[in-house]
Amino acid sequence: MLEARDLTIRYDDRTAVADLTLSLKAGEITAIIGPNGAGKSTLLRALNGQIPRVSGVIMLDGQPLERLNRRSISRQIAVVAQEAELRFPVTVLEFVLGGRFAWATNSGWGWETERDLEVANAVIDETELSDLNARLMNELSGGERQRALMARALATEAPILLLDEPTANLDLSHQATLLTLVRKRCDQHRSAALVVTHDINLAAQFANNITLMKQGRAVHSGTPQEVLTPEILQEIFELRVLVDAHPITGGPRVTPIISA
Amino acid sequence: MCFLCLFVATCSAVSRRALIILLLLAISFGCKSGAGQRVSLPARVTRVVSLAPNLTEIVFAVGAGDKLVGRTSYCDYPPEAKAVAEIGDTLHPSLERIIALKPQVVLISTSSQLEVFTQQLQNQNIAVFVTDPHDLEGVFRSIQEVGEMLGQKDQADQLVTKLRERTTAVEQAVKGKQPVRVFYQVSSEPLYTAGHDAFVTDLMRRAGAASVTANVPGAWPKYSNESALAARPEAIILPTGGSMGSVNSDVTEALRQSPAALHGRVYKINDDYLTRPGPRAIDGLEAMARALHPDAFK
Amino acid sequence: MNRVTLRKTLISCALLGAVLLLAIVSMSLLGSERLPARASLCALASLGSSACGLTQDQFDILFQIRLPRILLAAAVGGSLATAGAGYQALLRNPLAEPYLLGISNGAAVGTMISLVFFGAIEWTRPLLAFSGAFAATFAVYRLARGRAGATPERLILAGVIVTTFLSSVIVFVTTLMDATRIRSFTFWLLGDLSGSSKALLPVAITITILGALALTLHARSLNLLMLGERDAFDLGVEVGRVRMVVFLVASLLVGSSVAASGSVGYVGLVVPHLARLSLGSDNRISIPAAALGGALFVIVADTVARTIIAPRELPVGAITALIGAPLFIYLLKRV
Repeated sequence: MLEARDLTIRYDDRTAVADLTLSLKAGEITAIIGPNGAGKSTLLRALNGQIPRVSGVIMLDGQPLERLNRRSISRQIAVVAQEAELRFPVTVLEFVLGGRFAWATNSGWGWETERDLEVANAVIDETELSDLNARLMNELSGGERQRALMARALATEAPILLLDEPTANLDLSHQATLLTLVRKRCDQHRSAALVVTHDINLAAQFANNITLMKQGRAVHSGTPQEVLTPEILQEIFELRVLVDAHPITGGPRVTPIISA
Repeated sequence: MCFLCLFVATCSAVSRRALIILLLLAISFGCKSGAGQRVSLPARVTRVVSLAPNLTEIVFAVGAGDKLVGRTSYCDYPPEAKAVAEIGDTLHPSLERIIALKPQVVLISTSSQLEVFTQQLQNQNIAVFVTDPHDLEGVFRSIQEVGEMLGQKDQADQLVTKLRERTTAVEQAVKGKQPVRVFYQVSSEPLYTAGHDAFVTDLMRRAGAASVTANVPGAWPKYSNESALAARPEAIILPTGGSMGSVNSDVTEALRQSPAALHGRVYKINDDYLTRPGPRAIDGLEAMARALHPDAFK
Repeated sequence: MNRVTLRKTLISCALLGAVLLLAIVSMSLLGSERLPARASLCALASLGSSACGLTQDQFDILFQIRLPRILLAAAVGGSLATAGAGYQALLRNPLAEPYLLGISNGAAVGTMISLVFFGAIEWTRPLLAFSGAFAATFAVYRLARGRAGATPERLILAGVIVTTFLSSVIVFVTTLMDATRIRSFTFWLLGDLSGSSKALLPVAITITILGALALTLHARSLNLLMLGERDAFDLGVEVGRVRMVVFLVASLLVGSSVAASGSVGYVGLVVPHLARLSLGSDNRISIPAAALGGALFVIVADTVARTIIAPRELPVGAITALIGAPLFIYLLKRV
């Protein structure tokens, strides 16, 4: 669905991403993990078409990204960022309806259709925000706001989801809820998701693939079992870790070893 | 003063604070008003600076031009004035330059709003002579006062006598004639006119004109287009030329259908005559009277 | 507050439009000269074809002086409020407005240049005003561009720099001019609707309507932009293009107003704010509402300016500031 080949992104003298090759497949969640400054967010932004000058190629459904216009990209790719700027009062419903913009017949003008409302209400139910429909966004808690951001992205009906550290400000239960939602989408609607995250253990539970990045390079890629080994993690994070099997799920569980 | 301090010290905290504030206010106010200290003029004044064009004209007119050591950049009459050193313009004269010229007195017109400036000059031990004639009588008085101060009393008196004669002649000529309803246009867009306190309003009265804005408060009010139109003036005076150049040489739009405009009774008169309360004001008076009542001056 | 629909928008605009029409008619009955109310209303209703008993002078006052002035006030108010709404959406800051960004000062400098060097040629005024506004916009934009793009903070800072620089230029030019011209400029810099030739009025009105229309047609994009440039980009808005449209249209609107009437302050700040407060942040309703509300606001302010000390006049900018500043403080407290 979405793939990057030999992607290299340079800023002035810095190389943010180098020779990176990545592929997102339908129904799969790919987690991108790495230390700060590894180029994870830059990669995400590039996949969305936000970075104009890149070498290498990014293909969306077989077409190079730069040939496509903004609206058609937005119909295929939705981004869930960490926070929204909420300097103007807007209700949850209005906020979520924003996701239908890419489907508007006139760009910039026009009114929401019946279908738009249907979709918006459906995703609001899905993200358990139905009671908060008419509330203002800045009256919501951090977790509720994150769900609204998720809802908006889902409202675009885009098959590809890019999530930039979506669990960063969420408490444990909300973290689980959000990722369960992504998992469901991928399973039921054959969406593909890319999740940039710091939370290795969460990724281990939800992701089909994990790509580990360091200094702009995709160093290791594979299933959680394959890549979450003490040797690889030490290479990436320069830290000794303990990897054992999760007692319930059986998947890898990573614990850093901090010597006193 | 000590008594007050004691009193303040014994008061309760709140009222003490109030008292201290009052005290400070009183002291500062006292300092301000104490500046009314007059700097005394020497017996012979030989060096004078003028901060207004009309005052420069008066100094030369009373024959004391040789005593003028500084003038503003707007003081362009008589031609000899241009040889005198400049000290800035009427709104922002340079205190340093004035002091460097070592004048004994500085002539100020209050229409320049230089109150603060006045204070600074007095601090430098320079006497300040303030004059602001609102009418012709005030001009005559100013001429005599300046003349006397600069040791030219006789010449000043002679000048005033002559000016009075000319004034009376004009007033006699237009006496008994129906005053012409006049609109004085200072600028066309936005529309400004001469109000009650303007010097030229007095001149117009004497010239046999009834200024339609004679009772409007202030000196140079911005005037409503509607009211100008409704006034239906019989004549329009456009102060232009002189140091103003060709600005204001067109009648404002609202008056283009007025009786004055339709009958061609639009008179351009040298702005310097009408806005400088000095000897040339009589030239302005005569010019207006001749324009408005031509038959009285055959 | 409920979601904005087409119906809600049309009803609000129709209502505001009706109030505006009422204001135009009623304010044209007020002025420094008394006009007979019934005859005036009759003449207005006949759109000037019948004098209805008014004298020639009264007719002229009504149709040559008052009505054009009221219509100009409407155009200026509508332009400034629309421009303000546009900037606030674009910069994601409810406090953004043309003056803060130096656009109006740019237009003022342009107009000054035209008055000083091309005084007699009238059409140079709006032309140079636009050029000044564009130049100021461009300067602000270039100054504000950092590595992270033009964030609102950088933009506003750049705007303040440009504003203060241009203000100094204005002061510099006014001190070089002689005393008689200075007064005109002072008044003009505080807003003056009494001048301005009839020829420019249709241009001003056309620009107001076209500008408001242009921004309204991008309202949905602006709704998204308002909540973050990055988010808007992700959701399909062509951010660069919309940004340029807003800058151009807003500069046109501000340039047109300043050329016609000088700086009238607070309109671009207070009116859009009130529109959003009462009708919601959705630009599809708040931009047209701001346009109509701005027209109303300046018509009323100008009527006060030209009647309160009649036959003398106050600068309209003084009245909008007297109303606008306390209103703004009140709004700040509520936000």
